Amino acid sequence: MSEGARTSDPEKILRDAAQRVSVQVRVRRSEYYALRALTWGVSLAALPLLLKGLLGVRAPSLAIAVIGLALLGGLLYSLSRSVPPSDALRLADRAAALHDRLSTALECVERRDDSPLAKALIADAVERAPRVQWSRVVPRRWPREARLLPVSAIALVALLLLPPIPIPRGGLPAWERSTPEAPEEPKQTGPATALDRPLEQKRQIPERVDRQPQELPRRPTRPETARGDLAAIFKDTTISQKRPDFSSFLKQGDERLRVLERVENLPDLKSDFTQSPQKMMFRKMQQLLGGLRPDQLSPERLRQLLDEMERLGRKGDGSDGDLREGEEALNEGQLSRALSAMERALNRMRAQEERERAKKGLSGGRDKGREPGDPGKDGEGDDLGEGEGSLPGKGHSADVRGSPTRRLPGEKLDMALSGEQRQGRREAYDTNLRGRGAQNPSRLPYATVFSQYRKLMEEALAKEPIPFEYRTQIRDYFQSLEER
Amino acid sequence: MGETEDSPLTEGTMVEEARVERFVRAFQALRREIQKVIVGHGEVIDQVLACLFSGGHVLLEGAPGLGKTLLVKTLAECLDLTFSRIQFTPDLMPADIVGTNIIMLDQAERRYFQFQRGPIFAHIILADEVNRATPKTQSALLEGMQERGVTVAGTLHPLPSPFLVLATQNPIEMEGTYPLPEAQLDRFLFKLHIRYPALDELNEIIDRTTRPHEPGVQQVLNATEADSLKELVREVPMATHVRELASLIILATHPQWERAPEVTRKYVRYGSSPRGAQALVLGGKVRALVSGRFNVSSEDIKAMVLPALRHRVIFNFEGEAEGINVDFLLQEVVTAAEEAIRHGKEVFLR
Repeated sequence: MSEGARTSDPEKILRDAAQRVSVQVRVRRSEYYALRALTWGVSLAALPLLLKGLLGVRAPSLAIAVIGLALLGGLLYSLSRSVPPSDALRLADRAAALHDRLSTALECVERRDDSPLAKALIADAVERAPRVQWSRVVPRRWPREARLLPVSAIALVALLLLPPIPIPRGGLPAWERSTPEAPEEPKQTGPATALDRPLEQKRQIPERVDRQPQELPRRPTRPETARGDLAAIFKDTTISQKRPDFSSFLKQGDERLRVLERVENLPDLKSDFTQSPQKMMFRKMQQLLGGLRPDQLSPERLRQLLDEMERLGRKGDGSDGDLREGEEALNEGQLSRALSAMERALNRMRAQEERERAKKGLSGGRDKGREPGDPGKDGEGDDLGEGEGSLPGKGHSADVRGSPTRRLPGEKLDMALSGEQRQGRREAYDTNLRGRGAQNPSRLPYATVFSQYRKLMEEALAKEPIPFEYRTQIRDYFQSLEER
Repeated sequence: MGETEDSPLTEGTMVEEARVERFVRAFQALRREIQKVIVGHGEVIDQVLACLFSGGHVLLEGAPGLGKTLLVKTLAECLDLTFSRIQFTPDLMPADIVGTNIIMLDQAERRYFQFQRGPIFAHIILADEVNRATPKTQSALLEGMQERGVTVAGTLHPLPSPFLVLATQNPIEMEGTYPLPEAQLDRFLFKLHIRYPALDELNEIIDRTTRPHEPGVQQVLNATEADSLKELVREVPMATHVRELASLIILATHPQWERAPEVTRKYVRYGSSPRGAQALVLGGKVRALVSGRFNVSSEDIKAMVLPALRHRVIFNFEGEAEGINVDFLLQEVVTAAEEAIRHGKEVFLR
């Protein structure tokens, strides 16, 4: 047996394997490209059906022809592409996890590699080739456009069944003037002509108004204006009937100025609605309650609510004492006492809110007669006045900035701060200041002043033009303080 | 396969299968013996053995105490080969490695020069803490590693075969060291990272090393057998597309290449040399034989990318500054190379 005859069998086996894969690739490729072409063909076939009114009975035939041509094009394109045998066997290697055995063996056969290992490889590949499941070598792949095929097909059928879309016939409407053109404006001859020109144009306006209804569809107009009487347009106004009266004009002007002066006192409805602590509290309560009755609330929920009230409560509304009492009651497990304290705190906050509304001129209806400082029905009106604030801008002084503290004119920067934790009922820090501030040490516990600081922070964030990125940073800072 | 059973092709195949089987047995025996002493590091052991059979050298990098030196010593014990250990220090001189001519007296009291061989004349060299010696001394290894010979006073002294240099370096204590120059790094076939052992491996290390009798190893291979198996490795056939994949991987490490991935363009100054491609293919051939195959597959090439190329890619300033992980970059490189192979091919042939 010659060398060529000896190697013909392995070569034939490998080439047959490549041929099998090639056929499979061609089939899958035909399906793929046919489906792509069909999708585009169906989309294009909608065009003759859209023009059914124009094409008449030829439209469906044309649509079918477009689809058929697209399908044929896709099939021809797929069949025209070759499948290299080495690529085909690589697919088989991959599908059967043969680690490039078949493709390498085919290459060795083609280049007549006589090395012992090449021969062993060819023999190994020939032995493994029949065990390959050829049907699984080339998986079916769907073109991306195929997802649109059902939609396109439905649209096509709908277009086929629906009556033809009416196509507008004829040209555009005639836009020629019904009346001869106005004579050209006289050329400028002197200064007097320039002054007369606007008057000339004004005189032409009624003519154009009269001409419009003849050319354009009529709109319902009042009979006076329909006649083109300019005076009728102003007939229903008082100004048109009055003779120019300079003194009355001045009087009206004074009235307007007074109204303008009152603008500053008008209520800021937006801020009243969005920034009202009471409303925020109400919303928060709604969220926290979640449809539960107060007696169904758990102590955790109550504590959460209490914290929110403390956070949203305004300085000076006198709710601090009630909130503290509520917290103590909650710590001692007296839920009913905590609830009543919270209710009192809420009433105080509401009263404070109403006083502020009254300042803005919003008090009315049942708010009438409830003046700030008046004792309420619950008899808690005496202490509703604004407290002596320990923070600037929160006292009852007329000066909204508050009176300067003793520290401010002096050294603004403390040299150092050192804290010392002591044993006590609650966590508190006795800060020892150096410098002028040493004369006025803070006596307020951290937990008490923190809510005020946080409230001020919220107000500042609401009012001041602070960049958005900084807002998060500021909130995080206060959050970190709270966690301390 | 009744038709082919009687053909001479099958007879030759059986011979080759026996050779491959012998290779696999030798490889597995070596691995087994080394693992009697070394706990874990299975992948590192495989790659060191791949270097041995493909005729390359290994650079082992890892923190102190992870068993780098022990691995090399154990390998040397498993092989019936000569072994030298050179502890690199800042005062080590080139002549301390390659040897020197010394004056001798013959029987007639005449003086003559005789070449006194240095420790490099051994089959397996352990260059311990190679980055502690000066570049001059490090360079003394260069000729030996690449040319398999040493030239002293104009005379070439060939080195024994197989010749394997296993250098270790410690990446932590870099003060007072001399990092290996790129030219020398390129001469190492693989750079292997020795990782820290896992919990069960650590327990096993404690058990093995604190017993009265430490495990001993047997010699499983001599020089002749090792050379024969080295020849077998080079005979393994490889398909064109597999070779192309190796070349494309090397090209994808070069920022100038048009299809290089974005990370290469951004962070690499110099890509791998053609020695990198040789390392990929030789390592792939060993891996194929160990798997019982007669051909190199794409998976073999891809499996060798990290050890073969991680010391051959030189980062630019941005890459160094941003601390880019070379292993991550090489994974991107492999993806780009595969994409380049598929480039232009339709979906069915990818």
